[in-house]
Amino acid sequence: MMSLSRREFLKVTAAGIAVSVLAGPAMAGQQSDEADKWVKGVCRYCGTGCGVLVGVKGDKAVAIKGDPNNHNQGLLCLKGAMLIPVIYAEDRLLKPMIRKGGKGDKLTEVSWDEALNFAADRFKKVLAENGPKAIAYYGSGQALTEESYVANKMWKGGFKSNNVDGNPRLCMASAVAGYISTFGKDEPMGTYDDIDAATCFFIIGSNTSEAHPVLFQRIAKRKESSPNVKVIVADPRRTNTSRIADLHISFKPGTDLALMNGMAHVIVRDEMDDARFHGKYCNFMKGADAVTFEDYKKFLEDYTPEKVEAITGVSAATVVKAAKMFVESAPTISLWCMGINQRVQGVFANNLIHNLHLLTGLICKPGSTPLSLTGQPNACGGVRDVGALAHLLPGGRLVENEGHRKEIEELWKLPPGTIAPANGRHTIALYEGMASGDVKAVFIHCTNPAHTLPNLNKMTKGLQTAFVAMTECFKSAETVKYADVVFPAAFWCETEGVYGCTERRYALIEQAIKPSGEARPALDILMEFGKRVGVDPKLIPFANAADVWEEWRLMSAKSVYNFAGMTRARLKKESGLKWPCPTESHPGTNRRYVKGYDPLVPDNHPDPIFFYGKPNAKATIFLRPYVGPFEPADADYPFVLTTGRVIDHWHTATMTGTVPELQKAYPGAYVEVNPEDANKLKIANGDMVMLETRRDKMAFPARVTDTCMPGLVFTPFFDPKLLVNKLFHDAADPVSREPEYKICATKVYKV
Amino acid sequence: MVALKKPLLIGGLLAVAAVAGFFIYIEMAFPKVRCEAAKHLNAPEEFSDCFTCHSKATPVLAQDWKDSKHGALLVKCVVCHGQPDGKGSIPFAVKPSEKVICARCHEPAMNRMVAKFGELMNCDTCHPRHQNPMHRAAYEPISASGKTE
Repeated sequence: MMSLSRREFLKVTAAGIAVSVLAGPAMAGQQSDEADKWVKGVCRYCGTGCGVLVGVKGDKAVAIKGDPNNHNQGLLCLKGAMLIPVIYAEDRLLKPMIRKGGKGDKLTEVSWDEALNFAADRFKKVLAENGPKAIAYYGSGQALTEESYVANKMWKGGFKSNNVDGNPRLCMASAVAGYISTFGKDEPMGTYDDIDAATCFFIIGSNTSEAHPVLFQRIAKRKESSPNVKVIVADPRRTNTSRIADLHISFKPGTDLALMNGMAHVIVRDEMDDARFHGKYCNFMKGADAVTFEDYKKFLEDYTPEKVEAITGVSAATVVKAAKMFVESAPTISLWCMGINQRVQGVFANNLIHNLHLLTGLICKPGSTPLSLTGQPNACGGVRDVGALAHLLPGGRLVENEGHRKEIEELWKLPPGTIAPANGRHTIALYEGMASGDVKAVFIHCTNPAHTLPNLNKMTKGLQTAFVAMTECFKSAETVKYADVVFPAAFWCETEGVYGCTERRYALIEQAIKPSGEARPALDILMEFGKRVGVDPKLIPFANAADVWEEWRLMSAKSVYNFAGMTRARLKKESGLKWPCPTESHPGTNRRYVKGYDPLVPDNHPDPIFFYGKPNAKATIFLRPYVGPFEPADADYPFVLTTGRVIDHWHTATMTGTVPELQKAYPGAYVEVNPEDANKLKIANGDMVMLETRRDKMAFPARVTDTCMPGLVFTPFFDPKLLVNKLFHDAADPVSREPEYKICATKVYKV
Repeated sequence: MVALKKPLLIGGLLAVAAVAGFFIYIEMAFPKVRCEAAKHLNAPEEFSDCFTCHSKATPVLAQDWKDSKHGALLVKCVVCHGQPDGKGSIPFAVKPSEKVICARCHEPAMNRMVAKFGELMNCDTCHPRHQNPMHRAAYEPISASGKTE
């Protein structure tokens, strides 16, 4: 009786459960907060680099919360708070795929062995027939530091090819060149802590509120603390960032160089500069020529507030007000992002921000610093510091510097002369090279160039002809359409590695769960691929990411990027550390170049500040004249088109597009039109509006709002159905080679 | 033994029917989405920020949110409430659980408060979720064109 009734009972219970499950609203991927353990990591999205804790139950990630010990103090933005469902998205790539019959063929699922051999055979063939200049690596500011380090080493040291570039070229190459030209070394001297000490914020070319929400929260909190805290936002769009602004400066797109020179003019004219500081710590340069302060003053005569008003459209009084606020409300922190970097004068614009700080001595002091914001979570630590760009070597060294090449050859135990002496191809040249047939095979890692490159119709030509091997986590990534081989990579907390964010902070993402499906950590994929192409296994003797980190950590001690004190064990314990951090007992550095803070400034140095990046220990104030954008609006194309982010999506929305709430908030791209323009063109909210540039045309639903100033239209770039980058040109900064995504001329009309 | 089998089976089936009936009744009598928003939520291509509708449907609530810290920082409705159709990644709740939802960001502050004042009834009493009456001035709503120079 017992056995029978028990069976019946089980049947009944099972049926009951089935019914309740069917009727209940539960859904796979939904977050619950009953975790067995919490694993430390870093958010996968922007360059703010918020610490997170991933809640794991069994073998699944079920929840996320902010890491209370990291700089974000437990806070997350809406994207970060909804990161868990991305791991289990249906769109995840879970099996290796190849196009057996070449470009026209379908992608078919194959074994790892077959996929790796398929890619390696082609690379081997290209290397044998066309030499190392015909292969390339195109990396990412989202790849883990260990991955970028190994790829860089394999290409430059193994294949003898300097064709190593990546999406940071499109994102902060101008900031890099700005820091290097002014201070001699890359990376900011300040940190997020300066936000809490600043009483004046100069935010230019950054929609911090939507692109770096948690940082914006910190700024807003500071602003809230006292009415004496002033916020200046300079942006042709009046975004949500301006909600906390005391002064919003709407200048004509592309005229910010004149604006900043104008502010410098007022500062010098009204004797608000710190002559003792710039007399001691700065030199003045016009291009490569040394000039004097008097020359600089004369140069600034072209930028009186009245002349600036004529160029920028900003009233002379506002220019004066901004300059005064910058100095009188000090300590002042400047924050900027793609509005400054993605420009044909990106490096000049960066120099001019540094100028304002050097001129006033508002630098290297608590709350006073020029702090460049970064778009991607590991562009700073993973690419800038590792030197995974065509002209760089690890630790701030340069390819074209013979001494630097020799140092790296010794550190990597390579025979002298292994590293090629000429720079590799920067991004634009790389894709042009692919189209012309000079570059025949490319390995794309952790990025989606078929969506993000400028002038897409031109740039994707190369992807149609060259052999493309890529790692990817999501099937719908645009670049997959062009790939010959797709390796499914482990996503975010499915593997471990280091991310380095805006403020020189390195933090470890610990592995929380096993990779989904057949996905493998990208580091394994890269090394396995390299070995099959013929990289000497002794060059990459790494069993795991910790081994790679150990080599890179010890190597860093030989440069000013010294983080030898950040052992893996320490990174596991702490929620991020800021370099320089030379020893295991060093707490990390908040203020570079300052005696008593920066361990690289000797204790017996005669001055409190030491710009050791420069041979003469002096930072440079550059005389950078105003130059307009590459393609200003004209009679034929009377509007300026600009692009950017929305808070709900990140980059190409391969991740955020899988989260129902985020996708719902912004299902697609739109175009912002000022009411004044909308009136003239008879455009109403929701009407389809055509944007026609010299490259292409595309229709978007209109959103009539006064966010954009008259004459300016904006469209976000996340939408894979509307690849707005087809509309943009590919003209780039002559130094940083970063393209001007922010400004092009367009026609606007109702469809 | 055998005699018991039949009543057990019938009883079991009746239980199943009762449970199923209960859920069907609930489902029919109280649809999860009873407002106009259902339309929007079911049209995947349509832009549907909750705020757009709620500024008409519940204007005071919507404005309170907009003027609050969460509004200024664009911590949107779905971050705490989820999607009303239950198809989202965050469970839908009109009153989100403090221990689960608020704690995701504010756990350090909550711990500090507990350490200072002991276990309190709820955060909402002193910190109304959609308002920030103490420091409102810093976020005072301004007309969009009010501050442009």
